[in-house]
Amino acid sequence: MPENKKVMGMSKPVFIAVLLGILALTIVSFLAGGIGQALFGIEFPEWLVVHQPEPHLPPSAIFHIGGLAVTNTMFTAWISIALLTGLFWAATRRMKLVPGRFQAAAESVIGYLYDFCTDIAGEKNGRKFFPLVATIFLFVITNALMNLIPGYNSILIGEAGHQTHLLRGANTDVNFPLALAVISFVMVEYWGLKSVGVFHYLGKFFNFGPFIHSIRHFRKEGVMGVFNGLIAIFIGLIELMAEFIRIISFTFRLFGNMTGGEILLVSMLFLMPFLLALPFYGLELLVGFIQALIFAGLTLVFAHIAVTPHTGEASEHH
Amino acid sequence: MEQLGISLSSFIAQLVNFGILLVLLYLVAYKPVLKMMDGRTARIKESLEQAEVMKKQAEAAEVEFKKQIADASKQGQAVIERASRTADEIRQRTQAEAKVEAEALVERARADIRRERDEIIDELRKEFADLTILAAGKVIGKTLDKTAHRDLIGQVLEESAGLRKN
Repeated sequence: MPENKKVMGMSKPVFIAVLLGILALTIVSFLAGGIGQALFGIEFPEWLVVHQPEPHLPPSAIFHIGGLAVTNTMFTAWISIALLTGLFWAATRRMKLVPGRFQAAAESVIGYLYDFCTDIAGEKNGRKFFPLVATIFLFVITNALMNLIPGYNSILIGEAGHQTHLLRGANTDVNFPLALAVISFVMVEYWGLKSVGVFHYLGKFFNFGPFIHSIRHFRKEGVMGVFNGLIAIFIGLIELMAEFIRIISFTFRLFGNMTGGEILLVSMLFLMPFLLALPFYGLELLVGFIQALIFAGLTLVFAHIAVTPHTGEASEHH
Repeated sequence: MEQLGISLSSFIAQLVNFGILLVLLYLVAYKPVLKMMDGRTARIKESLEQAEVMKKQAEAAEVEFKKQIADASKQGQAVIERASRTADEIRQRTQAEAKVEAEALVERARADIRRERDEIIDELRKEFADLTILAAGKVIGKTLDKTAHRDLIGQVLEESAGLRKN
């Protein structure tokens, strides 16, 4: 009986052929890439050579509707809206008590996000925050994943010399994370004001109580009391500033990570097409998920903090 | 700002995009899925409660069943005891009746024997009287008045029998 040894699930000749293929691809991609071209300058057909990327941050307008310039990032945001809506519509069109595969997948995604919200913010508040948090997560991750579809960033439109990319990940347009951050900020403040009460909620930022108290009871509390009161005011104002700074941190965390990831990918593709970019694709998959989770998770946590009454601090001073 | 690409129109457009997506997802995903999940939770809860009720019913039925079995056993025992008592009574009555009957039979047999003995004695007495008369006639040499002498002998015998009986 002939001995049939398998290497990594392949028969020996197939394994050797695959190995040679990978080796050839490595050599070709190295020579056709930026480093190889700079070192050896071997001429390759045009379709094999990746030109040096020239990343620019603002999105390009691809067409106009009335006075509004529709940018490529806005267009991809629309595509992701259509994709998400279409998928969920198809999954929940005919809901059954015992779900099919498609419905079960949609339910598990929604269920995961719902549990995420209720685990952190409790059953009542979690349910209130859930639509916003889930939409942020789904919007960000869909755009991040769509950006990794091969060829997504390669479709060019327009005349030669003025060509622009038809599609570009919405996360890499600073307006998109900024819009999400503003919505997150507005909703967090709204929930905070609504559930804790306007005066109570604003009291966290404009904390003059301890200062007034120390002035009134100056004999008893002395200079230290006044000093503590001033510190309380200062901390309150810092907290107010932190609320607004949150918009910037939210925006640039997502924008920076996604844009950085995109530039990293095109740079790797330029240096060595085909193989070198592969691990970075994997990395970007992870980064997309993590960024979506962070954006949604932080919104949830801040909302939870905003609706939790800060009676501890208040009662301490009175 | 411009180098970053921040523009008011794009910003507002993205805000609108997000709003549209939120509404659409609420309609096609969150609302139906949460409704379904809530329904399923309610159903599971209901089923569990129903199972609990059924379990309790089964337990109650088991207790009732055991009680019925115990009752039936008790009743059966009572029936057996009654039957046994009845059988005893019947046996005793039968025995008593049999005894009475036997005694009656013995008494009747005794009476029969006595009667037969008396008849035989009477017969013997008659024959004896006849023989005596015959013998006396032979001795005297003439025929005696048979009837008168028989009565006389009979009277004597009767008296002697009466004496003997007494």
